[in-house]
Amino acid sequence: MAENFEQHSDISAADLARLTQEAQAEATPSTAKIIWSEFKADKPAMAALIIIVGFILFVMIGALFINTPKMMETNIMGYFNQPFTADFWLGADSAGRSVAKQLIVGSRNSIGIAIGLTVISSTFGICWGLISGYFNGYIDWGMQRIYDFMMMLPMTMMIIVLVTIIPHYNSVTLTFIFSIFYWEGTSRLIRSRTLAESEKDYVAASKASGTNHWKIIFREIMPNISSLIIVDCTLSFAENIGVETGLSYLGFGLPSQTPSLGTMIANANDPNNITQYWWTWLPAALEIIILCLSISYVGQVLRRAADSSQRQGSVN
Amino acid sequence: MSLIEIKDLKVHYPIRSGFWNRITDSVRAVDGVSFNIEAGETYGLVGESGSGKSTTGKSVVGLEKVTSGSIMYKGLDITKAENRRKLDYNHDVQMIFQDSLSSLNPRKRIEDIIAEPLRNFEHLSKDDEKLRVLQLLNIVGLDADALYKYPHQFSGGQRQRIGVARAVATNPKLIIADEPVSALDLSVQAQVLNFMKKIQREFGISYLFISHDLGVVRHMCNNIAIMNRGRLVEIGTRDDIYNHPLHIYTKRLLAAIPETDVNSREAHRASRLAVEQVYQDQQSKYYDENGAAYPLVQVTPTHAVALPQTIAQQLASQEGEVQA
Repeated sequence: MAENFEQHSDISAADLARLTQEAQAEATPSTAKIIWSEFKADKPAMAALIIIVGFILFVMIGALFINTPKMMETNIMGYFNQPFTADFWLGADSAGRSVAKQLIVGSRNSIGIAIGLTVISSTFGICWGLISGYFNGYIDWGMQRIYDFMMMLPMTMMIIVLVTIIPHYNSVTLTFIFSIFYWEGTSRLIRSRTLAESEKDYVAASKASGTNHWKIIFREIMPNISSLIIVDCTLSFAENIGVETGLSYLGFGLPSQTPSLGTMIANANDPNNITQYWWTWLPAALEIIILCLSISYVGQVLRRAADSSQRQGSVN
Repeated sequence: MSLIEIKDLKVHYPIRSGFWNRITDSVRAVDGVSFNIEAGETYGLVGESGSGKSTTGKSVVGLEKVTSGSIMYKGLDITKAENRRKLDYNHDVQMIFQDSLSSLNPRKRIEDIIAEPLRNFEHLSKDDEKLRVLQLLNIVGLDADALYKYPHQFSGGQRQRIGVARAVATNPKLIIADEPVSALDLSVQAQVLNFMKKIQREFGISYLFISHDLGVVRHMCNNIAIMNRGRLVEIGTRDDIYNHPLHIYTKRLLAAIPETDVNSREAHRASRLAVEQVYQDQQSKYYDENGAAYPLVQVTPTHAVALPQTIAQQLASQEGEVQA
């Protein structure tokens, strides 16, 4: 059969290297290059990217050098120490603990939970939505009833109950508890797009080419909804920082000896702190605002890179 | 023996309604269609939009769930998924789609698109695979620099040729061409059609050519089946259909071919109106009380029409055909 093609085409094995080279010269740039050129074209987004990456690296590495149990000991001499002094760069809270150090360790904990939660819940939600939307019929029906059941559970209350029941929990178990409840929105969004996408002709063409279902789902359909996935992931990452923060603020997040952005903002519960001791809560609040804004800038660039009609970069 | 034998193929879609969402009725997209495709021929399937011709084509590739009936290939009924797997059926039967843009995955490079059936069925080495893709591109008249581009960077005609290249990649025995040129402009139509003919000569492929463009069908097909309301109304050779149409639906289709002869414009218009008048007056003669076409009856060895035996013979003798 191969000779059949040889007969009717004047291309033979000898031309392969030359033609490959020719094709590579004309090749469309890779996705990574496109994303990079998008960042270069959008200065605020580039700044946002540097802020996010730099900050995450800084708190991840910086936290390694801080002895957390020692840092969290009460130090009566440092009671509400003023900021910008030699011992306390950002001052100290009511127990005389350094706000700057708490901010570093707390950011590591909060961002770690947000990343873990985004990875677990988005992966699960995307798979659930893709499978449910692609197979349709009874499989879709069953999966959507499970989804409905999960949506019906009061999320915050369930998390609070679970946190109360589990005796020794830390940021890892907390991440898993959150993940049980945070995949639903993603899965419904992905399902609706998959329903539309799997009706398209290229899916039929893949089926007619003998490609199996799983390959079609993850290699054909998923890349085509990647812009949706990217936007959803960046938005839910920004949101997930807030999830942990909010729960810790209410007092049900991380244990009180584990600093996090939420426990630091909880300092603002006290009117005295809000007016007089602003350094106990303001840095954490500013950090969350800056991080969430930066993430949404980066998300916009990724979305533009995924959609060729919106690109601003020079590589096309 | 024919390459593919389709017997009494039915594809019905359920209509659900009412409080309990029960199946109350069904859409009879394809309702008892039988025909055979011989090796190396081009079989034309013609009909208006919604007549079920695309559904028939998709059933033959195995993309549509068949309600009843059988499609025999190499002695096995390929309406069952396990038989398709056993035969590596899609290695031998491929499809060209109507919309060239949506049938190519916008996120895949041309190399990956054309190599997809090769990767599933032939398991070539990387270099052999690339060589085969380059040869296929060459056969359909595209340059090697198309290899690492994306579908949206090509024109409609080029994309359709990429679709043809993908369909012939595994050297299949039958290609279902579902209105392959109806989305292209006329000069490009001719180009793609000639490519398809050239490939047919060189590789000995059969086509099931689905179209509503009778001019294109006349150019491509030896045998033609006319489809209306999910049933076949007339089967015959090119000569039978174009020169001796018997069913009113075939006559209407033929009357609808635009004529460029300005001088006899009035005559064409009159004949068109006459056909329409016959259709309006004699619907009951050509369709049964439910509005469906009758079963096919043979009038000559090659020619069959969906009419009651007596009317068919009467019409055939009017047409001056010899009874077999």
